[in-house]
Amino acid sequence: MQERQRLINLENISKEYDGVRVLSDINLYVRKNEFLTLLGPSGCGKTTTLRIIGGFETATTGRIIFDGADITNLPPYKRKVNTVFQKYALFPHLNVFENIAFGLKVAKRPKDEIKKRVEKLLDLVNLSQYGKRSVESLSGGQQQRIAIARALINEPEVLLLDEPLGALDLKLRQDMQLELKRMQQMLGITFIFVTHDQEEALTMSDTIVVMKDGFIQQIGTPKDVYDEPKTAFVANFIGQSNIIRGTMVRDELVNFCGADFPCVDKGFGVNAPVDVLIRPEDLLIVPSELGKLQGIVQSVLFKGVHYEMIILSNGMTFKVHSTVMQEEGSTVGLDVTPFYIHIMKPTITAPDRELEEEPV
Amino acid sequence: MSKLAFPSWAVWLMALGFAGFIALVVLSIRQNKGIKRSLFAYPYGLWIVIFTIIPLFLIGYYAFTDKTGAFTLDNFKNFWDSNYDMHKQLAEMGHNPADLGITRGLVNVDTLIYSLWMAFLCTLICLGLGYPAALFMADRNFKLGSTLVILFIIPMWMNFLLRTIAWMSLLEDNGLINSLLTGLGLPKMRLMYNSQAVLLGMVYNYLPFMVFPIYNSLNKQDNRLSEAAMDLGADEMVTFLRVTVPLSLPGVVSGITMVFMPSVTTFFIPRVLGGGNTEMFGDLIERTFLSADNWNLGSALSLIMMVLILLSLTLLRKVDPEGEGGSTI
Repeated sequence: MQERQRLINLENISKEYDGVRVLSDINLYVRKNEFLTLLGPSGCGKTTTLRIIGGFETATTGRIIFDGADITNLPPYKRKVNTVFQKYALFPHLNVFENIAFGLKVAKRPKDEIKKRVEKLLDLVNLSQYGKRSVESLSGGQQQRIAIARALINEPEVLLLDEPLGALDLKLRQDMQLELKRMQQMLGITFIFVTHDQEEALTMSDTIVVMKDGFIQQIGTPKDVYDEPKTAFVANFIGQSNIIRGTMVRDELVNFCGADFPCVDKGFGVNAPVDVLIRPEDLLIVPSELGKLQGIVQSVLFKGVHYEMIILSNGMTFKVHSTVMQEEGSTVGLDVTPFYIHIMKPTITAPDRELEEEPV
Repeated sequence: MSKLAFPSWAVWLMALGFAGFIALVVLSIRQNKGIKRSLFAYPYGLWIVIFTIIPLFLIGYYAFTDKTGAFTLDNFKNFWDSNYDMHKQLAEMGHNPADLGITRGLVNVDTLIYSLWMAFLCTLICLGLGYPAALFMADRNFKLGSTLVILFIIPMWMNFLLRTIAWMSLLEDNGLINSLLTGLGLPKMRLMYNSQAVLLGMVYNYLPFMVFPIYNSLNKQDNRLSEAAMDLGADEMVTFLRVTVPLSLPGVVSGITMVFMPSVTTFFIPRVLGGGNTEMFGDLIERTFLSADNWNLGSALSLIMMVLILLSLTLLRKVDPEGEGGSTI
């Protein structure tokens, strides 16, 4: 893939409210036409980051560069960025048409142009018959579409979306995920998306930025973040995982739960304490005499596509996903392919300050 | 302590009402119907019937009858021409009122027009002062906002008569302001006994009724709506005019209602702060009832007043059909 133009650059952004730090040293760039997701639990600073880009908050320190120009102190109405707000923030005193037309009316565009452009957007969000309706008479999903249409009317270069799907039910949310992705590709606009839903982030994003306590934990493609989490937090937040204390015996050999496992990671030193991450679907259940570890099945839960089993082995509980059910109380062997063992530095307290270039 | 004694008829009335209510409750329980929720509305229904509906009918009755109780429209003619009775008497005695130089008496109509004008001015000034005040109070970045709220509420804990009398000691010829002026070697000023002083007293008394409804409607406005407007390219001024103001209109309408209504019927304030020709309609009604002892004319005046207020309220509702009524403190 070719290197795309960097559209937005956040340089050493930090934010304090009354002396309390909510964002620390955020360094981040967003490429043109990228679908970038800020992901993290509530209070991690993802919305604040978005609001700083939108111009609703000013950073305590740091700069924002937009298309080569410093926009750190530019008010929201001068930025070529539009926002889809959490809970939509539609104007209750205006009808659907007037809501979408707001940006053009403020810009004093001629009437027939406004009509044409609003109708085009109503078509795009499949609500062409709803122009005259009051926004309060619409369902959550419809209000959502109006909010998107309203934000798109000024043809922004970047669309900021603050947990836009949070209020929708599961089925509708999945439909909207696909639709948003389709719109983003069709319009060729950069999307910066905020969510706490890791599945949503994995489905839609080109790049995921995982945040915690105001720090960026990891930046990467969905696959990177899932397969190669840099910290135990990322590993736990994105998908389920078994994280076990272990010792790196030497390069490509790790010891945990009293057994040695070959792996593919190196560079941790000799006999260094590490955290070992194994996804539940990567643990293999084998006949007990063939396993590197032996364990007793504690519980079995049917989850639809697979069974989730809790297996106790050498004082450690492992979560295992498998399509083959084991009897509760039976003894099984556990093994894992070297490639699926992921080694991390032990419990990260200092967050990643220097972030390497993520692969495109 | 005899002053504190409750009038015995009031005690009896209360006892009667309470006994009746208890009887109703007991009755409905014995009939195995359980206590219906609507039962609890009966005492208030009774209250409204006794103190609102019956008096309204009485006013209507008095307004359309004369002292003997016979139907007449003379009371309204007396409103239109305060010399009407005199005309009638003179004509009965065989004189031509015009020869005696007695023409139409304008006192009542003029007082009404003056009251409406004063109420209009008072409402306008209250809106002009109240809206910015409410804006400051609702502004989350303005740290003194909540202090301002309290400053507006505290004077309302005091009786409005006292507050009005307090203005006297400020505005009098030998009052605080004039003492200050003479102390500085400046000439005294006539601050009282004119329409402006009456208007000041009215604005002072009714301002909170404008501020709080507007403050409420601004306060519950979602901050994100302003942000959304700014996001779409509206600067602060355009955001204010296109989002903040339209969304606060229900508060403005109820503020106007809450100020205009008592303003038109203002009494006492003109008597304390005003001069000879600042009588307002409320005082006129009171004078007609109590000093002139003419309940029939007084009722007619009250009826005219009520019709006018009802008309202006209907007009306001037309402007803003979703008016929220009295969302006060």
